[in-house]
Amino acid sequence: MMGRSARRFGRSGLGYVAIGLPLAMFALLAAFAPEFLSLQNIVNVNNQITALLIVALGQLLVALIGGIDISVGSVVSLTSVVIVSVNPALAVPAALALGVVVGLANGLGVSFGVHPLIMTLSSMTFLQGLALLWLAGSGGTVPAPLVFAAKTSAFGLPAAFYWCVAAIAAASVLLYFTRFGLRIFAIGGNAQSAGLSGVRAFWPSLACYVLCSLAGVVAGIYLTGRIVSGDPTMGAPFSLDSVTAIALGGVQLSGGVGSVAGAVLGTITLGLITNGMNLLGVSPFFSAALTGVLLLGAISLQRRKVIGI
Amino acid sequence: MPPASNDCEIEFRNISKRFGPIRALTDVSFVGRRGSVHAVTGENGAGKSTLIKILAGVHPPDAGEILRDGQPIRFQGPADARAKGVSTVFQELTLLPNLTVAENLFLGREPRRAGFIDRGEMRRRAREILGHVGVELDVDDMCGDLTISEQHLIEIAKGAAAPSRVIIYDEPSAALDAPGVEKLVRLIEEQKAAGKLVFYISHRLDEIFRLCDVTTVLKDGQHVATRPTRELTRESLVSLMVGRELGQLYPRRSARSGAPAISVNDLAINATAARVSFEIKRGEILGLAGLEGQGQREIVRGLVGLVPHAAGSVRKHDAAGETKIGEAIVASVRAGVGFVPEDRKSEGLYLPLSIEQNIGLGMLRSASMSSRARIDKTRVKTLMREMNVRARDEKQSVGSLSGGNQQKVMIGRWLAAGVDVLIVEEPTRGVDVGAKAEIYRLLREFADAGGAVVITSSELTEHIGLCDRILVVRDRAIVAEIDGAGATEEIVMRHALMSAPGQGAST
Amino acid sequence: MSGVAMDEARPGWARRAAGRLLSLPIAYYGTAALLLFAAAARPNLLQPFLLLLILRQAAPLGVAVIGQSLCIRLLSLDLSFGGVALAVSYILTSGFLPFPEPVLIAICLLFGVAIGAINAFFITRLRASSVIVTLAMVLILSGVVTAFSQLRAPGDSPEMLRYIGQTRLGMLPITVIVWVVALIPMALFLRLSVFGRYVDAIGANPRAALTSGVPYVRAIYVAHIFSSLFAVLSAFLLVGFVGFGSLSIGADLALNSLAAVILGGVGFGSGKGGVLGPAVAAFMLMFTFNLLTSIGLGEPGKQMAQGAVVALAAIAYAARGQERAH
Repeated sequence: MMGRSARRFGRSGLGYVAIGLPLAMFALLAAFAPEFLSLQNIVNVNNQITALLIVALGQLLVALIGGIDISVGSVVSLTSVVIVSVNPALAVPAALALGVVVGLANGLGVSFGVHPLIMTLSSMTFLQGLALLWLAGSGGTVPAPLVFAAKTSAFGLPAAFYWCVAAIAAASVLLYFTRFGLRIFAIGGNAQSAGLSGVRAFWPSLACYVLCSLAGVVAGIYLTGRIVSGDPTMGAPFSLDSVTAIALGGVQLSGGVGSVAGAVLGTITLGLITNGMNLLGVSPFFSAALTGVLLLGAISLQRRKVIGI
Repeated sequence: MPPASNDCEIEFRNISKRFGPIRALTDVSFVGRRGSVHAVTGENGAGKSTLIKILAGVHPPDAGEILRDGQPIRFQGPADARAKGVSTVFQELTLLPNLTVAENLFLGREPRRAGFIDRGEMRRRAREILGHVGVELDVDDMCGDLTISEQHLIEIAKGAAAPSRVIIYDEPSAALDAPGVEKLVRLIEEQKAAGKLVFYISHRLDEIFRLCDVTTVLKDGQHVATRPTRELTRESLVSLMVGRELGQLYPRRSARSGAPAISVNDLAINATAARVSFEIKRGEILGLAGLEGQGQREIVRGLVGLVPHAAGSVRKHDAAGETKIGEAIVASVRAGVGFVPEDRKSEGLYLPLSIEQNIGLGMLRSASMSSRARIDKTRVKTLMREMNVRARDEKQSVGSLSGGNQQKVMIGRWLAAGVDVLIVEEPTRGVDVGAKAEIYRLLREFADAGGAVVITSSELTEHIGLCDRILVVRDRAIVAEIDGAGATEEIVMRHALMSAPGQGAST
Repeated sequence: MSGVAMDEARPGWARRAAGRLLSLPIAYYGTAALLLFAAAARPNLLQPFLLLLILRQAAPLGVAVIGQSLCIRLLSLDLSFGGVALAVSYILTSGFLPFPEPVLIAICLLFGVAIGAINAFFITRLRASSVIVTLAMVLILSGVVTAFSQLRAPGDSPEMLRYIGQTRLGMLPITVIVWVVALIPMALFLRLSVFGRYVDAIGANPRAALTSGVPYVRAIYVAHIFSSLFAVLSAFLLVGFVGFGSLSIGADLALNSLAAVILGGVGFGSGKGGVLGPAVAAFMLMFTFNLLTSIGLGEPGKQMAQGAVVALAAIAYAARGQERAH
């Protein structure tokens, strides 16, 4: 599997599907949906994908070490609840602290030997319950600075654009310019071999889960600012959507292969599909079903060695 | 204990280690001196790898200590050992396939500038290291794209790159081609001249006599002898390693072989591999020999249908006619072919289940899934007695048995299943000498009763002692066929390393 | 009573008493603790009438658990129950397919076989993660059904299923009888058949199962088809019990069944597992939810309990596994 594509694209996992799919979507939409290329619509797409992009970059880190985090959607939801529920001055620090705690719990459970899917499935459920217990429905007041940060524009470009650029830059620096970045590729490639070279999996893995939860928190802050309201279920789709996005972007869920570019391209593909369905007037429920189909397709492209969970 | 003289670099003192019920090392003591190449040898399962893994910091010893310059040292892990001047070239590849050559060489001690990885520096120093070892490769190549031989050279370069006083090579030549071996020899001589202590773990006699100043022999986890190599002869070394005459270990060969049981036609294990054809006859034990990683494993796994093959066909011949096999393992097993994998713990046995369940599963090989499971318990007990399985009773879990008894259970599964062809990878890996002889006897009896056996083994002596016919595999092709009775290590190695004129493998 | 029955489900497990007590499913201790707690704090929950009611609530879950436990013992997982139940409810109650009740029921069963086979296909042939495959299946099924239900809303349940869901034989609800009738043959089949042996083997070491020619792929197909069929049966009971179709039916079936299986002593990668343990766990979960409701923690409390239960039980089994490995 790795053979030729690895030679050409290194460990980025980028291939014809990852690069071709968003281009094809773009071409199709440009041809069949006249309003697609309008400036307003492009800005809309950017707005729609920002939160998913941030979450997908977090998911990318976890996937690189061979893990997965499907609790991140609940983290987004719970962040939203925290933002509107606690003292406005403490809202952001409280949300970040929450992300650290969730990430630590997930990471510790996984390093203790619980399968990452089981561990994060259970924290996903727990956190969703907690969010609903705290805030039964959408509402609450979002601190003004957060609304400003999510909705303002500068130099003719919307805030969403800057959020995206900042997230991509942070993930790129972390992955490509630090020891930590190189080592998570090594651990994902083969944790045992990395251990023989003196790189232990424990701390980097834990850090990846914490960073992924923090990505969920940041996405939650952005999203809450955008919709100017708390919503205890708003993050629910993000868990699987983020997995779909990175899988479409050629990130191998078995670890060690993937790239920031892949996560970005996968997110754009999903964003274009949602936008296209919207423009073409398809029921949003069908587009949820289509996400499921895409997820099946994307993970079927990745042949694992094992059968099972 | 001899007093530590001033050129003593490393002293092992009363090292013991066990893994579950298995004693890997018992009370091993000896000394390695500066500026020498020190062979550690012994049969498979003698404890060589465990000993060096303790020195490399991978395992802590259960008892005993390691002294350097007379001071006890303890390592917290491989990285700690390397930081303290002990670097190791492991037998198994530790390179990450998704990292470049340069990244692999510096993993764990990446050069940094202002907190970020200094890739320019890393590449520059990596080129230096490769140049020093004499490897011509691009440092930006992904290691997963290199050949096995190239990967081993990188592995060796990695060990040489770390600043160290002690360097351990664990079976370093197993997967090297001839030029690679020359590079290794040059490197080791250089390291010796620089006053370093080189531990050289190998059971290849040629290399020991060529390279090593001192030889330590281990057997069944115990220290047998540490002697200057020049005081040893091949015969005396072998008898130290084996502790008995070869003839006693292996059963008598059978005089005749019968009709073909399996015929392999133009089998290619992947699109670029040569096609191989051979027959396995009833009554014979056939060996696939060769250097590690030359394709023996893929050929036998392709033959039973465990891995897909690119071309060719495999047929099994019975009294009733012939069956095509090799497409799927389930069908091969139904047709009467049993497969015993080399790694019994991860691939062979159901460790938490009982002996009875492990053997009994074989009896179900041709039953339908919805039918009632009938397991003949008397047969299981008889087999356990015949194979001399040492266990409390048939309900004991297989995980608590010793290596030799586990191996017997795996073979017993197929005896109970009534198959007539056995494909066995590494029949005696990690098995003590007593059980070895019993396993050889079992395989020979199976063949004498009209069965056919194929083995792969990294121990040449095993092929020479046990097999009726030896096929030498090199670069995924069969390059020679040798009669077992007339085979010697030299003949097999010559074919394994380089094909003689006229017998060249098609490329 | 439970200890004896466990032994029957796991033949030849002669262990010392202490070891045996430790290896009992968490569900037994949990149920005992809960009953004691209820006796002290909420004694009215222990009235026979209420216990039977809880048993009836537990029946659909108990039926789903049979299939889930099969999947988990084969190191797979089926989280598609919610989607299957939703689709079954829609087929039965929307009038979308104009057929008589028995035909609709047959269609639902065929639908179950198809979904199970599709899940197994992705899991075995394409080697995709079972969690992701079955979650994607939920996305697809619920997306399609929700979209369709804008055209045609769900209506009343079939008469036959309402009868099964709401009637009692003497004291016993028929639902509970259906549960037991599904449970016993499955337990016998797993204990006596070749398939049962394969389940033990694959669970103990899937790679060994592959090399020794155990029909691994077929076993996974069988498990997932069974699993989806039990999900359909579970949906029948739910639809009959509720009396009408709904878009939220069976939504927490998958997670509850996972929790019950883990609590019931079926561990990932151990190959072990009885049938009774998960059944007791199903009752225990329903009892917990009733207890939570009675102390004022509704739906959110349930979810938190589900999450906590799965996490804690998985961690506990991981810890046991580590102990055994050392």
